[in-house]
Amino acid sequence: MSASRRPMFGEQQRFVLLLIAPAALLMLLFQVVPIVIGANASFRDWALYNPKKTWIGFDHYAAVISDPAFLYVVLPNTFLFMVLSVAGALVTGLALALLLNRPFRGQKLVQTILLVPLMVAPVVAAIMIRWIFNDQFGIANVVLEAIGLEGQPWLVQRWSAFGIILLTDIWLWTPWFTLLLLAGLQSLPKEPFEAAAIDGTTTWRVFRYLTLPMLRPVIVVCVVIRAIDAFRTFDIVWTLTGGGPGRSTELFSLYAYVLAFLNLDLGRGSAAAIVGGLIILVLGVVMYRLVDRIAKA
Amino acid sequence: MPMVTRPAFLPGLPNWSRKTFFALALAAICFAFAFPVLWLILTSLRPESGVYYVHRGTEFTLGNFKEVLGQERIVEAFINSAVISTLATVFSLLVTVSSGYMLSRFTGPAARMWFGTIYVFRCVPYISWVLPLYFVVQSWGIYDTYVGLLLPHIAVHICFFSWLMKGFFDGIDPSMEYAAMIDGCSRWGAFIRVAIPSALPAISALAVLCWLFTWNEFLFALILTGNRVPVITVVMAQFVTEMGLHWNLMAATAVMALLPAFLIALFGQKYVIRGLRI
Repeated sequence: MSASRRPMFGEQQRFVLLLIAPAALLMLLFQVVPIVIGANASFRDWALYNPKKTWIGFDHYAAVISDPAFLYVVLPNTFLFMVLSVAGALVTGLALALLLNRPFRGQKLVQTILLVPLMVAPVVAAIMIRWIFNDQFGIANVVLEAIGLEGQPWLVQRWSAFGIILLTDIWLWTPWFTLLLLAGLQSLPKEPFEAAAIDGTTTWRVFRYLTLPMLRPVIVVCVVIRAIDAFRTFDIVWTLTGGGPGRSTELFSLYAYVLAFLNLDLGRGSAAAIVGGLIILVLGVVMYRLVDRIAKA
Repeated sequence: MPMVTRPAFLPGLPNWSRKTFFALALAAICFAFAFPVLWLILTSLRPESGVYYVHRGTEFTLGNFKEVLGQERIVEAFINSAVISTLATVFSLLVTVSSGYMLSRFTGPAARMWFGTIYVFRCVPYISWVLPLYFVVQSWGIYDTYVGLLLPHIAVHICFFSWLMKGFFDGIDPSMEYAAMIDGCSRWGAFIRVAIPSALPAISALAVLCWLFTWNEFLFALILTGNRVPVITVVMAQFVTEMGLHWNLMAATAVMALLPAFLIALFGQKYVIRGLRI
């Protein structure tokens, strides 16, 4: 048989590879390479002021995992934050999406106002909230005192600071849920709702037995995306409290950042970052399985 | 045609009181959502002397904006942020539209592997790769430059936007593309001339989001830039620590940082809602 040389890839394979080539290259250079370097650094004595780079094995990991601040403050904070922030933003976002999905006068204006937080940079939001809850001049305390209550040093008490961080985050991300859920609501088929309206079904039952099940795939995707993002929140905490008072509102990203760039210990910072990365990776895979199952059900 | 009546909201109440209740609740929600921003704007319009008694004074001024705009570093930061956001949007779209198209139209092992990669990297916390990225970027000599901030930004957009893009293309019937290919279009021709135009609403939505995300981003900029490429979020955060007491100036800067994002989102919201159907 005459061996007409076939190209290594068929036309289709070449097309497929070319479509993802730029993305893959960028990811290789700016995600894979750094992660490999970070993994390497996490096994070495790599302090920014004294980079000896001697191999020390799992010492940094042991130090991070046995650090009480990490175990008893940072991790619980991060998980608590993740759960409450996602739950809060989902419930508010869903309520607002349902509200915006029925036509009323001034709907456009309301919609625009509700989307405002989406445009606000988390750093800007944190600055605003810090100013509002300033213990001497903040409007929150002014209002409290005006109605005869005592002003609170909001940002220097652990739980009030944590609550304010949480509220800021929910405020920031509610529009994100609203947007995606509203888009989802608008793409639902009309017929079941018309049938329900003719039957005179109550609003609550329509929501419970029609809207919610049909919206479920969108909800699940939103929750997974936001949960992963909430785990790595950095900017609002950094600007609002810097992790304080003490280290009581520190989240995982802050912990790694402080180790690497304030304590100048890149090795241990990388190890902490990798520990967190592994945790969220496991969570992410579990959540992905869940998404798959729920979306198919 | 039979009138389809919606089941009553708060049944048992007279119509007018239901309407008033609805309007009041709506007003309260809007107020709660807008309050922080309103308060910021109000603060930015106060002279330094009045800013601590904002609720009492009546004096307003544009002096804060004048003072902030007189600071070279802040103006520079605005320009940098705008340039980087725009470039990042253009390049991210170029890269992610094609990658999302691939994810949607092909089902082989390559597509599955690519989707897995994207999902896994989407989960990796920023800090885990930005931290060593600091060293990578430094050893390549692009630390504290436009390129050194721009490329990581594009890289971080890949996962999320490819995923969203896949969803959009999933919603578009591929038969038009097949028809074009039967008529003699190449695969690239079908992609560029048929698929992209029909995905334009989604692409506009992504452009708006991408621009906003880049403009608002903080951690990358904090770690990957020093003094030469100030961006607005970092400059503002430095404000808090270094000039902690000039709330009026800080508010003015923050309001200006809000403005372009606000305009973009205002004009883009139509596309975002229409485009974001996953």
